[in-house]
Formats: sequence, C-alpha cells, structure tokens
Amino acid sequence: MNSKSKAPCIPIEGSISWEDWLKGRRFRREMGNLVAPEIIRRKTSSSDRRLKKLFNGERGLPFTPTEKL
Amino acid sequence: MDAGKIKSALADVTAEQDPTLKSAKLASLCSALWAERGVELVVVGGSAIEILTEGAYASGDLDMCHATKATLPVAERKEIMSLLDAKGGPRNWQVAGMYLDLLGPVESFARTPFRRVEAPYGSILVMKPEDLLVERVLMSFYLGESQTARDCAKKFISVILTGGVAVNWNELRRLANLPEYRNLPQCVQLVKEVADELKIKSPLHPD
Repeated sequence: MNSKSKAPCIPIEGSISWEDWLKGRRFRREMGNLVAPEIIRRKTSSSDRRLKKLFNGERGLPFTPTEKL
Repeated sequence: MDAGKIKSALADVTAEQDPTLKSAKLASLCSALWAERGVELVVVGGSAIEILTEGAYASGDLDMCHATKATLPVAERKEIMSLLDAKGGPRNWQVAGMYLDLLGPVESFARTPFRRVEAPYGSILVMKPEDLLVERVLMSFYLGESQTARDCAKKFISVILTGGVAVNWNELRRLANLPEYRNLPQCVQLVKEVADELKIKSPLHPD
C-alpha cells in the first residue's frame, strides 16, 4: 500500500514543504478514518478549565470536516 | 523577523479557525522567534501527532519542548511572548486564540531525526513518530486501556502503513524493547490489527 500512496509522505530525513504537507492532509485524515472514528478528541483532561473557558465550552476549535481538507 | 512580519503572522494565526493549521502556524512563528535566539523548539504530544496524522485528536493547546540543551531565560521568553501579545507565562501562555505550553527539554529515545515541516514562518520540528507511536501504544494498553489512546494509535499506524508518514520500523522495534516501554508484543499486535483491517502485511510481523 505504501507504493500506492497518493499523498506526499512526511519523510524521515529532510523536510516536507508546506504545500506538500497541506496536500497530504485529506489523505492522512482518510487513512486514519479507515480504522477509527473521525473525531477522537479526548472528552476531558487536566486542562479542561482553561480550554473550555477559551473555546466556549469545548476543548478546542472544531476540526475541519474531511471533505473540506 | 521584523515587527511588521511578526504582526502580520500573528494576525494570520489569530484569524485561523482550523485547529491544526492554527497550531502549526503558531509553532512555526514561535520556532522562528526562538531560533533567532539560538533555541530550537520541537512540537510534542498530541499536537505533534495531529501534525503527523490529521487524526482529529488534539485539543486547543500546543505543547513545545526545547531540543537545544538550554532554553531561554524567563525574561527573554517574556520579551518574545510580549511581541505576540501573549498573556500568562512563563510556561503556559494564551496567545493568538489558543494555549501554548513551553515545556522543558525534549525527551526522545529514537535515533531518527525530528521530522521537519517547512511552515509559513519557518521550519517546525516535530517529535519523532517512532517515540510517539510506542508511547501511544503504551498508553492504550496500560493506562486503563484508554479507547481514545487506542484509536489514536490505530490512526497513526494506518497513516504510516499507507505511506503518509515514514518511520524506521527497526528503530520502533528497538524502542519498544527498551526498559522504558517493554511493549513490543502490544506494538506488534496493534500494527497487525490495523494491517489486517487494511488488508496489507504488517512490517512488524515475524514472517
């Protein structure tokens, strides 16, 4: 499956350009979604108080839906 | 970085509503400002996993450690963060509509390099996926068998197996055998589980 990857890979050596990293976002999200639910942000943590205060009761900004990546 | 560029970068990060882009851009801006003073920062924890996997896992805080031996003195940190209109400190800051935690020296066992993303305001160093994955597998099996940690590890493995992120499997195997982890069987099991779901061969399978 590696050889069929349609997205730029984040390499071990060197770097990935911003454009390639952006290009790979949807692919990475979709590959993760094959094996686990789309949103897996923890419901609670020790940072809840400050996070919920800043993000209107949530623990962070909402994730961009996969189809919009 | 001159004041005008900092101001425009800060406006961009503040306006950004995609949490992963916001986090990456803030990491880029802070890394550039720290680098000007000789300190290399590294994105760690959930924020690093998010940059590598897009797994919709991280919360609204960005954790960074320093890769260079010393970090900046508190006064200098305050000076930089005041350029970004940050509140709080000296370790936890509210900046550009999110939180930034500047932690201590980075802890890594892997001999592979930090991953590098050439982001808009400068390179971001990202924690090594070999360390992150072995640690996440440990969390998913031993810390009350956390379903979230397990889902996070599975997504991570899926992205790696499908070519989104390159890892050194020999190094990952070595880390999982270290006394700090001792979880190679669990790593092998979870990688096989994901590989089976994807109908591909597990690179950690003995065959």
